[in-house]
This record gives sequence, C-alpha cells and structure tokens, in this order.
Amino acid sequence: MIPFDFEYLPAHTTAEAVAYYVSRAKAGQSPLYCGGATEVVTLGRIGQLETGAVIDIRHIPSAQVLTQRHDQVVAGAGVTLTQIADSVLIAETFPLLAASAREIADRTARNQITLGGNICGQIFYREAVLPLLVCESAVRLAGPNGLRELPMDRVFDQTLRLQPGEFLVQTATDTVLAGAPWVYVKRRKMGSVGYPVVSAAAIRVDRDIRVAVSGVYPFPVRALDLEQALNRRELPLSRRIEAAVSTIRADLVLDDVEAARGYRLFVLRDVLREIVESLDA
Amino acid sequence: MAGEGRSRWPADGANGQVTQRRTGEDRDGFQVRSGRIGRSVMRKDAEEKVTGRAEYTADVSAWGMLHAALLASPYAHARIVSIDTQRAITMPGVRAVVTGADYPQRTGLPIADRPLLAVDVVRYAGEPVALVVADELYQAEAALRQLDVVYHPLPALTSPREAFAPEAVRLHPDLAAYDVQPGEEVWPVPGTNIATHVRIRKGQPESVWSTCDAVVTCDVSFPQAHHAPMETHCVIASVAPDGCVNLVTATQSPYSVPEAIARTFGFRPSDVRVRTPLVGGAFGGKSSVYLEPLAVAATLAVGGRPVKLRCTREQEMRSMPCHIGLEARIRLGARADGRFVAVEITDWFDGGGYSDRGVIVTRAAAQDCTGPYRIDHVHCDAYCMYTNHPPTTSYRGFGHPEQTLVMERAIDLLAEQLRMDPLELRRRNAVRPGDTTPTQARLMRSSVGDVEGCLTRLRSLLPWDGPPVEDRDGEVIAKGISCFWKTSSTPPDASSGALVYVNEDSTVTLLSGLVEIGQGTKTTLAQMVAEVLGLAVEQVRVVMEVDTAEQPEHWKTVASRGSLLAGNAAVRAARDARAQLAATAAVVFQCRPEDVCISNGYAGCPYTSRRIPIGQLSRGYTFPDGHTVGGFVVGRGSYTIERVTLLDPATGRGVPGPEWTVAAQGVVVAFRPRDYTYRVLRAVTVVDVGRVISPNLAEGQLKGGMSMGLSLGSREGYVYGATGSVDNNQLRVYPIHRYGDQPEYRVAFLETPNADAPWGLRGLGEHGVIGMPAALANALSNALGQPVNSMPMTPELLWRLHTGAEVNDR
Repeated sequence: MIPFDFEYLPAHTTAEAVAYYVSRAKAGQSPLYCGGATEVVTLGRIGQLETGAVIDIRHIPSAQVLTQRHDQVVAGAGVTLTQIADSVLIAETFPLLAASAREIADRTARNQITLGGNICGQIFYREAVLPLLVCESAVRLAGPNGLRELPMDRVFDQTLRLQPGEFLVQTATDTVLAGAPWVYVKRRKMGSVGYPVVSAAAIRVDRDIRVAVSGVYPFPVRALDLEQALNRRELPLSRRIEAAVSTIRADLVLDDVEAARGYRLFVLRDVLREIVESLDA
Repeated sequence: MAGEGRSRWPADGANGQVTQRRTGEDRDGFQVRSGRIGRSVMRKDAEEKVTGRAEYTADVSAWGMLHAALLASPYAHARIVSIDTQRAITMPGVRAVVTGADYPQRTGLPIADRPLLAVDVVRYAGEPVALVVADELYQAEAALRQLDVVYHPLPALTSPREAFAPEAVRLHPDLAAYDVQPGEEVWPVPGTNIATHVRIRKGQPESVWSTCDAVVTCDVSFPQAHHAPMETHCVIASVAPDGCVNLVTATQSPYSVPEAIARTFGFRPSDVRVRTPLVGGAFGGKSSVYLEPLAVAATLAVGGRPVKLRCTREQEMRSMPCHIGLEARIRLGARADGRFVAVEITDWFDGGGYSDRGVIVTRAAAQDCTGPYRIDHVHCDAYCMYTNHPPTTSYRGFGHPEQTLVMERAIDLLAEQLRMDPLELRRRNAVRPGDTTPTQARLMRSSVGDVEGCLTRLRSLLPWDGPPVEDRDGEVIAKGISCFWKTSSTPPDASSGALVYVNEDSTVTLLSGLVEIGQGTKTTLAQMVAEVLGLAVEQVRVVMEVDTAEQPEHWKTVASRGSLLAGNAAVRAARDARAQLAATAAVVFQCRPEDVCISNGYAGCPYTSRRIPIGQLSRGYTFPDGHTVGGFVVGRGSYTIERVTLLDPATGRGVPGPEWTVAAQGVVVAFRPRDYTYRVLRAVTVVDVGRVISPNLAEGQLKGGMSMGLSLGSREGYVYGATGSVDNNQLRVYPIHRYGDQPEYRVAFLETPNADAPWGLRGLGEHGVIGMPAALANALSNALGQPVNSMPMTPELLWRLHTGAEVNDR
C-alpha cells in the first residue's frame, strides 16, 4: 500500500514530460520521472520514497527505441530489461548489455524495470550502466533547456548527473565498442537472483581491458587506475590483480547484509582474474 | 465400533476384486480393500488453486470493514519515553489509535510474557507499539507516520550466550509473576533471562568419559530465520452485538485462538468463533496466536466493527515470531569399535524478546537430542534465552533440524577421529526396539521404525561409496549424510474429531478441523474415508475451510500429526457411518448387520442381488408403504493421542510423543575451491513412513521439505544490525531457494507399520527438512577439509572458515 496521494502523468513527448515536470515542481509536488515505476511501488510503500507527481516517460517514442543506426546501437530509456535481454538485435550488436540486463532482479521484475529506471533509480547497483561505462556510450537527455547529448564519462559520476527536470531519453553506443570482445561476471551471496557481491562488465579494446564494477562501492564505477594496473601485461597475473585491487578505496567498500568488506574484496580479486583469463589475448 | 474392522465380505463384491494385502498387525485391522490407499489421487483443492479461485483470509471482505496498520519499534531494546497520538488521530479516515496504555494486560502462550502493544519498554525491533484503525488501509498507514514516539535506546542482548551470562541485563525482571498456561511443560528461571530450562538426565555421563577411546567436542550455531510462506499473517476481527468475537484468520491453530483471546480479554472461550479459509503456507509460523489479539484490540476500539489487519512482508519478517536461532556445544564419546558411550549437550536457543512457542521448541530439541542412536549416558541442558531479537515459534521440524545438526556434526567428527566410515558408524549405533530414548521412553518396533534399513537404502541410493571427495574439472564432488528421528511434542490430551455425512446422492461429506495449509492432508483424509466406505475418492467431499463453530476440534495442524489424529478420527467417523447404514440396510435385507456390504455407493448382502444406494439409507429407509426404519446418518469419530506422558522436570523422564519417524538423508555437492561457491547436485531422503497413503503427496512433502532444508542451510538467516534489528527483512535481500536452485531429488520409503495409526502410517510432513542442513554441513566439511558447524553455509562462510577472516575483516 502506497500511503500517499500522487498524480500520475503519462507523457507522450519529451516536451510534454518536461512541461509536466516544470509545472509540478513549481506547485511543490516534487515530481519524479519514472519508467516501470518499480521503485515508486517498492520504496513508496516502505516510506523510502515520496512524491506528489509521477511522470511516466515510457510512452515517449524516442524512449522506446531499440535499434542500430549511424554506427551506433541506440537504446531508449523506456525499454524494459526483458526487452533488452531478449532482443535479437542487442544479442548481435551489444551482447554485453543483454548480459548485464539479464542478471538484474528476476524475470517478473525485469518485465517492468526499464533501462532508464535501472540507471537513474535509487537502488545503487545500477548494473545496466556498466556496459555503457566501458563502451563510453553517449547519453541523450531532455530537460527544461532542451535536448543535449553527452559522453558517459562527463555525465556519470556515481550517478547520472542530471540537471533539475532533466531525464534520460536514450543511450547511444559505438557499434565497434559494443561489439568488442566482452565478459560479464556477476557474483551473488548465493543463488541466481539477487543483488551483486560483485558484478563487472569488461571489454577488450586492442590489447587493453576496460572494466566497470558494481557491488564494490555503493555506486557503479569504471576506475581508470584499476584498469591501468590490470593492463600491466609485463607483470605476472597475480601481481596485476593485486595491483588492481590495491587501487580500491577500502574505506568505501560496501559492508552489509549481502557481504562483508573483506569478502567483497576476495570476490573482486577472483572476478578480475576471471576477466583477465577470459579476455587476455 | 468394536469388531467391525474386518468385513466378512470383499469390499468390491460386485466385480469380485479382493485385495488381500495386509499392512501389518495393527490392532484395528486396517486393511487395504480397494487400492485407494497407496495410490496417488488429485488433490481436493487442486482445481480452485490452479485457477486462482481459492479464497485466503486476505480475500475475505466484510460489510463496513475497517483497516488497521501496525507501528513497530525501530529499536531492539529501548525505553518508551512518550507516545503522542494527537496528530495521527486527526488524520483523514482515522477511527482509533490504540497503544499499550489501553491494554496493560499480558498475553502469550505458553508464557504470558508480552504486552499486546509495548508498554514502557520495547524488547525487539519490530515489536508492535501502536495500532491505527481507519476507513482505508492507506489512511491507516499515512496516520502511522504521524505518530510521535520518543524512545530512549538501551543496550541490546544480541546473542543467547550473552543473555545467559550472569551479568547480563534482565529483559523480564517480572518473569516470576508471569502466568504460564496450565499443563504446558515450561520451566522459566526467574532472576535470569532463561525462559525455559529443559533437563535431560539419563545414566551418568561423568562416570564413563574415562572409558571412551575417542571424545569430540564441537560448537554449532545459526541465526534466526524466516518461515517465508507466500501468504503473510492476516486477521479480520469483529465483535457481534451479542458480545461474540468473530475472527477470520490465517492460522494453523484455529482451536487455540479462543482460549488465548479469552484469557487476554476476559471473554468466555465459547464466545470466540474462528474461521480459517485455506492457508497459503505456514511451516510452523502460523501455529502461535500472535496477530489475533491485536486485531481484537483493533475491533474493540471501533465498537466491534470488522477490522482487517494484515502483515506486510517486512512486518512478517520483523514483527512475527520466527525460526529459532541456536548456539550449542556437544561432547560425544565412543569406544574404539565406534559404539557411543556418552553425550553431553548444551543448547542456548535464541528465543527473542518474547518466548512464544520457542520454549516448547527447546523442549523438543532436548527430548530427542541424541538422534536415533542408542546412548546410555545422556546429559542435556537446553535453555530458551530471552534476547533482543524477534520472538520465536515452531518451524517445520520443531527443534529437530537444530538438534540434528548438532548431533550429526559431532558424529562425523567422531568418525574422522576413529577413522571409521561415517555411515557405518551410524549403522552400528542405530537405535533398535528395546532401546530407550534420552527421556528413557522404551522403544518398540511399532514406535520407532527401521533406522538401519534407512541407512542401508541410502548407501545405494546416494550412493555413499568410499572416500567422499574426488576431483573433477577443478570441482570437488563431496557427499554428506545425516540420520534423524522425530516425534511430536504433543500434549497428552491432543485430540481430533470428525463427522461424516452421507448425502442423498450417495456421496459423503467429511468435516474435520484440520487446516489445509498446502500439505494436502484433507485429500489424504478423503482417501481414508473413501477406503472405509468403499467409495471412489471423487465421491468424498471434504470441507476445506475450518470454522470452530461447525467443525469438530482438531488440536492444531502441526507436528506432522494430521494423518494420525485427524486420520484416526476420520476413519472412525466413516466406520460409524458405515455401521449406521448397515444397521438400516440389515432391516431392509432381513440379514445380520455384519452381512451387509457397503461399496461403490451401494449397500448389498449375499442373500439377495438387490442393492440399495447408500443415499437412500442416509435419512433412514422408507418402505413403499411409507414406514421408515433407521435415521439420519451422522458418522462420528474422535481420537485422542495415546501413551504420551509429561516429562519429569528434573530428569526429563517421560514419553513426549507416540511414535518416531526415522530417516536417513544425503547430499552430493560440487564445490569450487577457487571461489568457495558450490552447487547441490543431488539430495536423497530414505524415510520410514509406516505406510504411504498417497505417493504423490508424500513425495511432494518430502521434496518440498528437502528444498526448504537446503535453502535454510545454504543461504537463509536473519542478519542483525549492530543494535540487534533484523537488517534483511525483505525478500530482495533475504535469499531463499527459487525455481532452478533445486538439485535432483530422490525419495525412497520404508514401511514399518505404526500400530496406532490408520494403515500403520507415520507422520512425514516435516521430515524432509530435518536432516538437510546437517547433511549439507557434512558434505561441505568433507569438501572444504575442515568443519563447517554453522549456518547459513554461504560461500562467504566457507571463505571465512578457510582463510580465518574475521567477520569485520577489513
């Protein structure tokens, strides 16, 4: 039961969505953009989220795109994780994105959770962003000041740094990077459904491995110093991994019901080993 | 009914088929007549469940119904400084706000140790502090957020050993003044945090330790856990103008509710009527009366209007009684040939802030503490400790999965020390007729079943073959076994009644107070009635919903006792109906009643080819001239448990339950040393069930239990925050087995009849669970090469054990 009243506003264009946002913000309703609204439901009922207006962006055509054009794989923010995981196009062009989507939550939840919702929601694992980080995808945003397109590394720092009233419409990924040799590893406390102890997306570009991880910190991250250490091919594997792990800010590592800090670091070592074993040419 | 057990005529006389198979020398002469026993049938509740039409408590609505919401304490231990209800009471739709100040009396069975709503102190995070009743649920929940409660946090007791320490703060300083339900075996120790202390004293262990060639000691522990039924607790309560309290509630114990409500609120028990529709899973978690008094308080606050109170999943996991936690120490000694000499066990159960059924679980674990082994010298102290964790109640297996883990880990360690095969060590010590239990109950073939037979069958079915660890593709394939027994902890007067009506269309209807909680026992009862009356199972209707005003009482739907208690009652009711039909038919046929044969819905007799539909005899038989013989047929049957005696508080001497179901279990795991992950490849149960009534239901119960036991052992358990609150009280962070996690299951049945039960059956509802955590722990110990003595056995635990990393290792 969601014990507060809110307005539900389905938008059909980005302009309409933004207009809704501006008017409701002015009215003091603390509006929220939503995709599948799973967090509105699950966090709203336990008092961890409250809003006076929910703007549904799923019906905006540009947010429903799943295609390849101009050497880019384009995915709309309103596409569900199930659609991504099941898409033949994504399987062929951006299999890493499909792999990351497939490991989030369970099928029933994935039918509802959208790409944009997973990336912009409160639940901090945001694993769908990992492939976009390593592939240096672009994000297309809509807001009160119009549309803008930015590379991921300029706009993603722990979260997507949106301006007030701005929302994610699409992600666009270079076809070559989207098709690069890849590996996706997700380790949980137990079983095949749940939050990550560590999840990692990795690709190889030329001889270098790129890695983005979630579950280590309370936010996803692509850490260049970790990659640099991992790519010191002149070192034996175990030294490379130790060097990579030594870049981790231990004080920021998660320590909670899913896993203790020390265990997360142990798992991270093994995940990095698996990545290198699988991608080192 | 005496002497009418053996029919002189074949049941299916019409087509001449006679099944002569006997299932043992049971005294009532149960006999398989037509193959309805031992054959799988479709569940009586299958169609309504698969079509989604089945009605559960939360589906029930009443005219003018209001909704209640509960405010729970965020602190595990705190003083309540103040509760301000002013803002909440003025919220839209709000009808009443109830706090502990409104109900100073204590409630709880068997020890009345908790206030309805917290008074002055909260003793666990999740403890109900206030109730809001409103027109709509969202209004009640919105008002909850306007309640201003000021707490002063206190240091919390976060483990049973900590609570046992002499210097520990007393959570219940008034323990001596608390009411204890008469007849319940609970021994609180005032001046301590001990809610009960159960003593088992058999032989003299202290005098024989020196004669042992090998002695092992080990510590075993696990946290509390969630029952995880799909349906959360839900109650609808109202008070009628005549003062009668009406409850609709999801419970395993509808007949326990009236007494609890009466004791708490001062009603007469007969003024309380309880309806229980189908229950969506219970697993012991719905055996105690916990939410019902709160719903009654809610309806009393609004002049008796119906009020619905339903737990959210989060409340179910923080506020409702859970699976008990344990810290235990065991010392087990044996001769060089493997024969067990003595055992000493201390159990500190984590009973939580209020004891509820946890104190009886503690007794159950102690009464069967040795497992199914002959040990002449036994010393066990089992304590149920008050802590600042959630309260505890029964959980499928009732103290036995816990007790089994303790004992079976010690046996594997002993086998290692003796360099003896673990299965052979168990076989050599297997309990046999003539031996006694820890409570000095003398076992008979009828009361115990075949432990050795279970082990022998397990050896080939697992298979258990030589050294348990081998390498394959970097994985270690390891096996582990366990062996267990269980009897119920049933009061000596636990009873069940049944009624059988014969309908005019020659079908019959069975009424029993047993609750359908998903276990399928009502279908089994229908099979039994069909068998006695020679009917097809489809011709027996069984009323699923329980109404304490309409159905004869059934003690509680717990303890794997349904098929014994309700089974005996149903069989006797069916025989009574048959005798009444035969008496009337004998007048019509002009023969002796014992010559009348009832089958396929007809009464017949060897002197005539004429057959009369039993429906035509159900209201007496009317001759063509209009005169009528006989009367309305109501078959009555009842059964009260036999041979159970109370335990002596000083030594534990007594007979806790009528019979022991024994079993052996095993698992095969594939363990990856590289990252400490593992998969369970296969799980096996060999169980002596006396007699299989319905193979598919029996197998389903066993496999479901195995899944639950593997889930509990491998991943479940509450994770407490630093102050003792449950931090993983959502299913998104509390892992349980899902589809796809299950291994290959193998189940085999032995059939050593139990003379007291219909067709010789033994209880089996809980048994799939019991040995699974122990078998898994033994397999993982073999895989890891070091003892795994705690649950849940996650890869993180195995990593920690292997690397010696501390919990807060940075």
